[in-house]
Order: sequence, then structure tokens, then C-alpha cells
Amino acid sequence: MNKLVIAAAAAIALFSTAASAQAVRLATEGAYAPYNFIDDSGKPAGFEIDLGNELCKRAALECTWQTNAWDSIIPNLIAGNYDAIMAGMSITDERKQSIDFTQNYLPADPSYYMVRTGTALDFAALSGKSIGVQGGTIQAGFVAETFGATNTVKAYDTADQALADLSAGNLDVILADASYISEVVTGSAGALERTGPEVKLGNGIGVGLRKADDELEGKLNAAIDAMKTDGSLDDLIVKWFPDKTKPIFATN
Amino acid sequence: MDAILNDIALLARPALFNIYFAFASIPLGFVLAIFFALGKASRNKLIANLCSGYIYAFRGSPFFIQLFMFYSLALAFNLSLWKPLGIDWIVLNPLVLGPAILALNTTAYSAEIFYGALLTVPKGEIEAARAYGMTGAQQFRSVIWPHMIRLAWPAYTNEVVFLFHATALVYFTLPVIGDQQDLMNKAGELYQRDYNAFLHFPVAAAYFLAVSLCIFFVFGLVYRRLTRHMPGAAPMRFRMTRPAR
Amino acid sequence: MLDNLPEWLRTTLGDDFAFWLGYLTNGKHLTWYASVQYTLAAAAFGMLAALVMGLLGAAARNSRLGPLRLLGGLYINSVRGIPDVLFFLFFPLAFEQTVELVRAQAVCTPETLAANVGQWPPCDAANWLLGTTEYLALACVSLGIVYGAFAANVIAGAMNAVPKGQLEAARAFGFTNSEVLWRFHIRQMWIYALPGLSNVWLLLIKATSLLSLLQISDIVLLANRLGAPNFSRSAGLVHPDWRWAYYLVLLVFYILITFVSEKVFAALTRWASRGMSVASPA
Repeated sequence: MNKLVIAAAAAIALFSTAASAQAVRLATEGAYAPYNFIDDSGKPAGFEIDLGNELCKRAALECTWQTNAWDSIIPNLIAGNYDAIMAGMSITDERKQSIDFTQNYLPADPSYYMVRTGTALDFAALSGKSIGVQGGTIQAGFVAETFGATNTVKAYDTADQALADLSAGNLDVILADASYISEVVTGSAGALERTGPEVKLGNGIGVGLRKADDELEGKLNAAIDAMKTDGSLDDLIVKWFPDKTKPIFATN
Repeated sequence: MDAILNDIALLARPALFNIYFAFASIPLGFVLAIFFALGKASRNKLIANLCSGYIYAFRGSPFFIQLFMFYSLALAFNLSLWKPLGIDWIVLNPLVLGPAILALNTTAYSAEIFYGALLTVPKGEIEAARAYGMTGAQQFRSVIWPHMIRLAWPAYTNEVVFLFHATALVYFTLPVIGDQQDLMNKAGELYQRDYNAFLHFPVAAAYFLAVSLCIFFVFGLVYRRLTRHMPGAAPMRFRMTRPAR
Repeated sequence: MLDNLPEWLRTTLGDDFAFWLGYLTNGKHLTWYASVQYTLAAAAFGMLAALVMGLLGAAARNSRLGPLRLLGGLYINSVRGIPDVLFFLFFPLAFEQTVELVRAQAVCTPETLAANVGQWPPCDAANWLLGTTEYLALACVSLGIVYGAFAANVIAGAMNAVPKGQLEAARAFGFTNSEVLWRFHIRQMWIYALPGLSNVWLLLIKATSLLSLLQISDIVLLANRLGAPNFSRSAGLVHPDWRWAYYLVLLVFYILITFVSEKVFAALTRWASRGMSVASPA
């Protein structure tokens, strides 16, 4: 399905008369609602897809979307399978060693713990519990460092798999981005709840790019700046993340 | 050369997991297979059809999907069944669930092998046993069982080797907890580190080959014992394919 | 799709049924149904490749040249010791690495090599981007090589089973060696090979469930994704873990294919034994 979209978009790009349109392939994970997911018609959708399309329009780029598994999303960017990553990826110093980021388009979200409703946990002295995280995320690193010694840390390929195990009773608690947790708690109709302290990790979410791609970085940064100043980025954020309130980036 | 020896050392502990999975599921699979083979050959239509159906279902579907399905089925009953009983840490542990699903699978293939052997037991001997007034159980112990196991052994050896090969799939579907790792996991992890596919996977393959040859050898010894009463018995003829029908 | 149904049909079927029909035919599910094409393509082309490898392997096994016999024997017997999933994963990786290595010799400059020390590929220009079609092709070749060994064993046995008298008579009639081979030997071999080959086919079709390990969005991967619990209303229907139901559907699908395959092979056997003086040797 995605290949068809890509092929169609590529064909359109080829025959497009817009001489300045540069073809850019964007990659996302497709398994992290509401940032990015696969909608009912089988296409990528979500906050980042909407944002990516808007940025491309403003930067006069022809953008196509691909999905890629989380654990190979950075290596495949470096290998040239696509040109940019928009997959809820936090800007961290460790990742900056291999790729570049634009400025953040989402401010740093705290991370929340989530449990089945009614589970009481003492986060100051957690021991003997099984904690679920998505492998290769900032939450994974934090949990391994803080709780790894006395608890079982299970890393999953996607956040949804951790969620599946939590709701099935195979895990005691999971740690993930606040927006993801909030969405899941609302949708679970009381079966899951947020608990424990907030954890501040990461420096906001940005677009991941290859280090050599300075031109693309410049274009995207300019577009993000424009969206921040005219308030359209705030509108988009509030549309997809109902528990956030304006102003977020707008200074007025 | 050093790299190969190093790999062999690194893959030794993971190999134990594969061996464990295979040998944990053999006893249960063997015993259940005998029951299912007898069931399929039973004169009771209901039992025969049920056993037949079980064998057909498990032989006709991929083991990979059987693993996925039984894991998610077990997970679905977690909150309602296993947790209240306090056994969820047993049931959902891959070291228990893996051999359980393997046993279900090998039961079907082995049952088909035993069933085929059951059909070729010489009818005359069974009649003679009945004429002597032996009960069903006595007939089974004295006449049917010895013939059945001897006739089935070569094909069953093949099946055990294929069972061992199938253990490579367990950790692709069941979650890997802690530092459990089997040969495929470890080979994959080593590959991710230095991208040398031509070193790690052949060494893992060599482990599989080595254990397979051991199984052939040991089971061959058993076959020699089973045929010790037969004059000039043919050596065990190995069939290439795991019978799929 | 539901909007195309006439009003009276919608009211008779009821809301629940209409809802489920709509859900099971939304874009995501249609993609899932359509991905069965990968499974069937892999099975069909894999079987073709296995037949070719089988004929080559059997020819090698029965050849007059010693080294060729050794090669054939090695090929056929190594498969008995190696799990098919291992070779299935190894072959595409090894092939891709070999191609990228060869390319790297041609296109890599010292600077690009230095930039990628310790990583693969040696330089970015040598990277070979593999899409679904490429992975599918590699999967077919993998399947062909693994199950070709099984097929070679079957075909070698079947070649030996053809009555020697037939071949002698053909030679006595003055047919050349290659004519004897193709018109008499191989043509009459199929009836003896069919039971074994049907076995190979059933093993192969079950091995196609492994395609998702090669990053192909096949029925297993999509079943996993569709069944995983969803709690995000914006992403679609909120539902608990339904994966076991989706896998059950896959299980039934494979059992159906096994059933149909058996019927087809029975018909093939009947066709192949027409005019044969021996009853089916199956």
C-alpha cells in the first residue's frame, strides 16, 4: 500500500511542472498514536504526518511518506533509504552523534508511568517489578539505569507491544511519553491509569536528518520557524494533543 | 580462525537453550503421540475423527503461526485465569510455553508416524495374541508396542531432528526475558555488532548440524538395540523429508 | 463500502453486522487480505526454484563425475542439519553483503570509506536499497535452495525408480542420450516423484509464513499489527488484544491451502498415472 503511494507520488513528482519542487522522502514509525500511526485506510496519519506535509508545502518540497521499524530507523536514514525522520524522536546528545536534528517542533514532553487501574507502586523503592519500555528510546535508557538493578526491564519493538503486555497483565508498569500515555488512558475507559511522578527526559522532538544534509535542514528549520511565529504549529499541536493548552511556541 | 573459535565459545550457552527446548518437549510429545495414534486407529468414530482432526490441523499449519497464536491465547487468559491462580509466571514464561507449544506440534507429526507404523504391525500376531486370551493392554505391551516402536523409529528420529530445527523459531515469537538467548538471537546480535554475516550464521549452523548428527547417532544406537533380534537387519534408512501429509 | 449497499439490505442485516462488515473491509484489512499475494508468489516461485534446484541436484548426485557427485551429496545432506529459518535469514543478508562489497570496490573513495569505519556498508554509495520486490525475490531463491535439496532427494529416488527396461528399449530404438533423458526418463519420473514433491510443496507453503522476518509486510506481520490492542481513538477502533483471533484466521487459511493442495496433488497423480502399467506407487 505504501509502495503504491510512494510510486504514485514519485510519478507525480517526475511529471510535475513545478521546477523548484525537490523530492524528499520522510520516514515515520507508524505505531505511536497520536504522533504517527496507520489509519483505517492503511495510510500513515497523525500529528507528524500533518506537520510534515505542511512543512513540505511551505518549503516547496515534494514529500512522500514511508514507514520503518523503530530499531532500524536511524541506520536506514544514514544508509540513504529516506531523507528525514519524523517519528516522535527526541533530540538527545547520543543521537546527535550520528544524525542532525532541526529545532524542536514539540517541546520536551515529560514521561509518565502507566499501570493497570488499582496497582499501587512505590517509585522511591521499586523492586521486583517488571517494567516495559520501547527499545532504543530515552525511556528505555532511563529505566535501565534507575530500576534495572532490582527489577526486570523488558524492551519491546513498539510501544503498542508493551501496552499489550501491560493490559494482559504481563507487565507491572510502562514508561512512555506523556502524550502517548494520556491518549491511551482516555481510550482505555478506566482499565489503565497514569501513576507516579513525572520524569523529564529529552529536549523536545525534532526532525532527524543526515549530518551532511545542511540544505534540507535549513529549509525545514525555516518552515518550522514560520509555523511557530504565525501560530499554526500551536493550532496543530492542540488539535492532536487535546491536553495541551496554547500558547506553546507562539509568543503572542 | 580465532574469530571462529571465539564465536563457537560465544554460541555455546545459547545452544543450550535450543537443546533444552527440544528435549523438554520430547517426552510429552512422545507419550501424547502414542495416545493420538491409538486414538486415530480406534474403532470409535468420534475419537478417531477428533484425533485425526488434531493431527491434520497441527501438521497443516506453520509452526511459526502456532507459536504466535498460543502465546497470544495464553496472554488473553492472563488476567482472568493465570494471575488469580498465581501461575502466570510459569505459564507465560518462554521456558515453559515454548516446550509446551513444541510438544503440541511434535505430538501431531509423531502421532502420524506412529499411526503409520501401527497399521503395518503384522495382523497375524495380534490375532494370535487375542487367541491366547490376552487383554487389550497385554496385547499392546507384548505385540503391538514392540513392532510399532521398531517400525516407527527411523521416521521418529527424523522428526526429532526437525523438532530441534524448529526450536530456532521459538525466540522469534515468544518474548526474550532477561539474558535468555538462543542460537538465532545470539547470531543476530553478533551480526548487528560487526555486520559479518559470513562468520556468525555458519557457526550457528554448525552447532545445529553438530547436535543433529548427535541425535542421529544416539537414536541410531537405540535402533540397533530395537533390531537386535533380527537377522542381518538393514541399517537405519533415513528419510529426507519430514512427512508433511 | 457500506454506503454502496441499498438501504433495505442495511436494515435487514442490522447495525452490528454492518459495523463488523465495515470494519473488516476498511483499508487496513483490505491491505491485509491483499498481502496474501506475497505468500502465494513466494510459494509459487519458490516451488519453481526448488524444482530447478532439485533437477540440478539430482543430476549432480547421479552424474558420472566424482566431484559433481560429492557436491550434490553435500548439497542434499547439509539441509538435513540446518534449520530452514537460519538459511532463510542468512541467504538474503549474505547476498546483499556480497553485492555491496563488490560495489564498494568500484564506487568507494578513501574519504567515504573513512567516514564509515566500523559500519556497513563500507561507504554510503555502495548501499543497495532493498524493497519488498527484492526481498521477495531473495526469499524465493532462499526457499528454492533449501527445498531444492529436499526435491533433489525425491527426484533422484524417482529417477532410479523408472523401470530400466524403458530406457534400454528407448536406446535400442536409436534415440540419442539426451532424447532418452528428456522423452523417457524424466517424463516417466514424475509419477514416482509426485508424492515426495507434494510433501516438499506442503513444507514450502508453511515456510512462507516466515516472510515477515525479511521485512516484507506479509499476512503474519499485518495480522500482528491489526490485532494489537488499540487505545487511541484517533487511530481507529479502540479494541483489546485480538491477536489470537487474527492468528486463528491465518491458521485456518494455511489448513485450507493444505487441504486444497492435497486435492490438487491427488488429481495430478491421477493424471500422471494415465496409461501407466503400474498403479500409483504412492
